[in-house]
Amino acid sequence: MREAHWRDAVTDHLQQLQPGGVELICHEWPLTCRDFSNLLKLFGESGFTIGLVQTTQPTTAISAQAMGLTVHLIESSPSPEKPTTPTPIAALTPRLRLHQGTLRSGDHLQTKGDLLVMGDVNPGARVSASGDVMVWGRLRGIAHAGQDGDREARIIALQLRPLQLRIADQVARGPEDEPLPGLAEEAHIESNDIVIKPANPRLTARLQAAANTQHPGQSLA
Amino acid sequence: MAPTSRTILICSGKGGVGKTTLTANLGIALARLGLRTVVLDADFGLRNLDLLLGLENRIVFTAQEVLAESCRLEQALVKHKQEPNLALLPAGNPRMLEWLKPEDMQTIVGMLQKQFDYVLIDCPAGIEDGFKNAVAAAKEAIVITTPEVSAVRDADRVIGLLNTNGVAPVQLVLNRVRPKMMANQEMLAVDDVTDILALPLLGLVLEDEQVIVSTNRGEPLTLNGSSSPAARAYGNVARRLQGEDVPLIDPAKEGRGLRAKVRRLMQKKIF
Repeated sequence: MREAHWRDAVTDHLQQLQPGGVELICHEWPLTCRDFSNLLKLFGESGFTIGLVQTTQPTTAISAQAMGLTVHLIESSPSPEKPTTPTPIAALTPRLRLHQGTLRSGDHLQTKGDLLVMGDVNPGARVSASGDVMVWGRLRGIAHAGQDGDREARIIALQLRPLQLRIADQVARGPEDEPLPGLAEEAHIESNDIVIKPANPRLTARLQAAANTQHPGQSLA
Repeated sequence: MAPTSRTILICSGKGGVGKTTLTANLGIALARLGLRTVVLDADFGLRNLDLLLGLENRIVFTAQEVLAESCRLEQALVKHKQEPNLALLPAGNPRMLEWLKPEDMQTIVGMLQKQFDYVLIDCPAGIEDGFKNAVAAAKEAIVITTPEVSAVRDADRVIGLLNTNGVAPVQLVLNRVRPKMMANQEMLAVDDVTDILALPLLGLVLEDEQVIVSTNRGEPLTLNGSSSPAARAYGNVARRLQGEDVPLIDPAKEGRGLRAKVRRLMQKKIF
């Protein structure tokens, strides 16, 4: 039912525009590879190309990326009736992106700010963030923290056995020994090398600052 | 469409892990349970399904002629000589790859769904056009893999693609399992595989030399009531698809009993 609905809406919209590049703003809609494939076909027939896809849903972002489209993953809009004007991601203050579910081989989840994955990162999958990368599960793929150059960024996982670790421009192979059960580990840069140590539960300066701005000076009176 | 028609894509990513063998044997096993089954070879480049079923010399028309409407579907379907509930729709000409679109696969499968309880699609290896065309027509999928790192990696990729294409449910068959190697930790354990792939295990098939013999003869193992381990496993997969609760083979316990030892001796033709 909904599919017929948005198809008509899209075709009507297109008729009002001049053929050319289009920016697709998806809000909360969950779109699959099949949806994007149909959209690309629909747009192509009327002489449009999709220049950019903007979405608040990580699953939609992954599908769009799989179809070779450029994607912007943005913050959910608090009031859906008034969609916020899209701001380039660099201008948004750093925050935590949450992804629920396992990332499979071939997936690449990228975000600005910090990334928390509730699930596994399978071998062959990649996660990258300009801040910290945290995996509440098994990290077995490739993780890149501080991808914009932040050498203070960390990679933390319940089980840290990645194929490769990257922090800023530093690269290291993952450890090959068996993981100790129940030991969460983190990787960070010390003296110009990536080292792996038991996870330190301190918040990063970034998350600390964000927490402070939300609850400024709350006293326990 | 027949009210309960099921369309299942059998895929793997990696080549040579047993898709076509599973399709052929599962097709026969389902047919023997009384279900009208059609198997569709979606590998137009290197087709093998007709070979495994021993039907290659009975092919007159293929999926290509059906799409071009130069023959009726009934003329192209090849009924299995010994199992009339099973039909094969042969793959078309390799040149079809140049013009075949996902909609074409959907058209063919739509026609088949009207007449058959099960439509099994034998997917080509890889994740390129052949796979994409086949996925467009699939409702459910069975991913088959062997307990090897490269096969599991490829299967993981394929499962991700099936998820983003809305194919559900996706189930897993673990093929060519060697209990001795698993016990010696020379081969990935069943848990290692299901850990990564995170899918329900539909079947576990032991490595079985009889598969090679049956392939070369064009007589699927499930056809003659063979009691070889692989034949039993394929039969179990069919029963589980029908909702029956059949316990999985435990690799640690296989091949130990006296019956299994006698069977192995007989297969070596000592008697």
